[in-house]
Amino acid sequence: MKFAIVFGGASYEHEISIVSAIALKKVIKSELCFIFLSPERDFYAIDIGNMKSNYFAKGDYKKSPKLELTRNGFVKKSFFGSSKIEFDTVINLCHGADGEDGKLASIFEFFGIDFIGPRIEASVMSFNKIYTKQLANMGGLKFLRYVAVNKKDRQKVLTENIVFPIIVKPSRLGSSIGVSVVKNKDELEYALDVAFEFDDDILIEPFIEDVREFNLAGCFAKDFIFSVIEEPQKNEFLDFDKKYKDFSRTETVFKADISEELQDKIKEEFKKIYNLGFAGSLIRCDFFVIGNEICINEINPIPGSMANYLFEDFNSVINDLAENLPKVKKIGVEYKYINEIASAKGKAN
Amino acid sequence: MAARTIRFGECTLDIHYDIVNMSGQKDIIFLHGWGSSKEIMKRAFEDKFQNLRHIYIDMPGFGKSPNNEILTTNDYANIMATFLDALNSDKFAIVGHSFGGKVATLLKPKNLILLSSAGIPQAKSLSVKLKIAVFKLLKPLGFSYLYRFFATKDAKGMPKNMYETLKNVVDEDFSHIFTNYHDKTFIFWGKDDTATPLRAGEIIASLVTNNVFTVLDGNHYFFLDNQNAQEIEKICLEKFSS
Repeated sequence: MKFAIVFGGASYEHEISIVSAIALKKVIKSELCFIFLSPERDFYAIDIGNMKSNYFAKGDYKKSPKLELTRNGFVKKSFFGSSKIEFDTVINLCHGADGEDGKLASIFEFFGIDFIGPRIEASVMSFNKIYTKQLANMGGLKFLRYVAVNKKDRQKVLTENIVFPIIVKPSRLGSSIGVSVVKNKDELEYALDVAFEFDDDILIEPFIEDVREFNLAGCFAKDFIFSVIEEPQKNEFLDFDKKYKDFSRTETVFKADISEELQDKIKEEFKKIYNLGFAGSLIRCDFFVIGNEICINEINPIPGSMANYLFEDFNSVINDLAENLPKVKKIGVEYKYINEIASAKGKAN
Repeated sequence: MAARTIRFGECTLDIHYDIVNMSGQKDIIFLHGWGSSKEIMKRAFEDKFQNLRHIYIDMPGFGKSPNNEILTTNDYANIMATFLDALNSDKFAIVGHSFGGKVATLLKPKNLILLSSAGIPQAKSLSVKLKIAVFKLLKPLGFSYLYRFFATKDAKGMPKNMYETLKNVVDEDFSHIFTNYHDKTFIFWGKDDTATPLRAGEIIASLVTNNVFTVLDGNHYFFLDNQNAQEIEKICLEKFSS
């Protein structure tokens, strides 16, 4: 199995995606090639030797050959004609917009490219945290109560009677960008300005101190494959900086010290979410355990460096998944209807 | 990283800003120079003045704050005043670098801190005078598209409205404003500054009534040197007017 890792994208998480791709270079043992999606939305074939963060920060990637997406896959055009980039399956590693909002899923599906990553509908539902709540509701999962606020209603929030602490998040961003914990009214305005810088829709949830959080990654390939359940060590909550560094890590997992029973319960909740349309992707779900209830907090349909550090044998997981991607129904167009009309008309004449 | 939308006359402006030391009881506000941004100011001062709430602002047309209008220095001051009111700022101290120094002066904070401030026009060199003369000659002939060849280094690749804004603010004489300025003022200058020469600093210091004038090693961006930033912090903390 040869993988093409597609990373970058026009997104606030562009740089995280680069870090993530570099981390996977060391982890995946199969043959790899790297395709970079620039902020201007050009695709480039990146030589594996150039997979260093500075190569992108300095704009050197522009010296790499540009690629075009066609029905034959990624194609390198040159003076003498064009050549196809050979691989079996794409790993969509574009975090945030482009990768997780359904744009790449759409064009991969359109051009018939096999890929690991969320499909169109799964992307749309998990990219917007407000839709994710609806999805969780549909699947019968528990979730934290929330208020969705549009930028034009900013003033109203300030006059509401709010019970602090709360957490304020932009609706369409991951990696804790633009997220703040607000302890009192004085901090509220700035938190709103921070979140509204990134999105016109934001979410406000109660912030539960000392809540136990568990992360579980997994996918479906013939059967469900689960990672270990991790209880992340947190300093109030993972801010952007911390998560960013988290993405490049390859070890130190804080395996959750919880009963088999609770582990099974968390896995059941994971399955409920996954079965709502995440086939083909390796996702990481973050759960809160509050009393006896398991609440889904977040779905990451393209987790940082594919959450490889949570799996004992990540290489076999990714290969199994690649071999069991959802089948795309082929639509045969036979022009039967038009031909029938034509022949009927022919007879009438 | 934050943004607030404010109204200014007919238009709405998105002002991008950052707050550091949220719990500080008094504010210190940082205004960058022309072509610069809040990030530069933040790099120098983020870990200084730890008892104050820092507000770093991208003025319209710079950093992340967009701008489609043609503005004057007065407009900038009015926009900043509106913005700071929206943030309930006490304007305890405002640090202004270069062009930001002029805006800071117009805002009349309790403590004004000028870093290589603009506001004292320099005599133009002969070649610059010549360029202007030639351009004025060509303009009626419809050669104004040539302005790029005559524009200052600052103007290259600049949107038209910002080029017009630059023309509004460049070479403005603030002597009369400095002369009538009586609130506490700190003036810091880089000894080898070529953008706003030390002579301009000496003139400002001779005009402003109540000032502390300090010359430090370095150029127009002398405050990016950590030792200089420490010195600025030390002098201000000793002599801040409360």
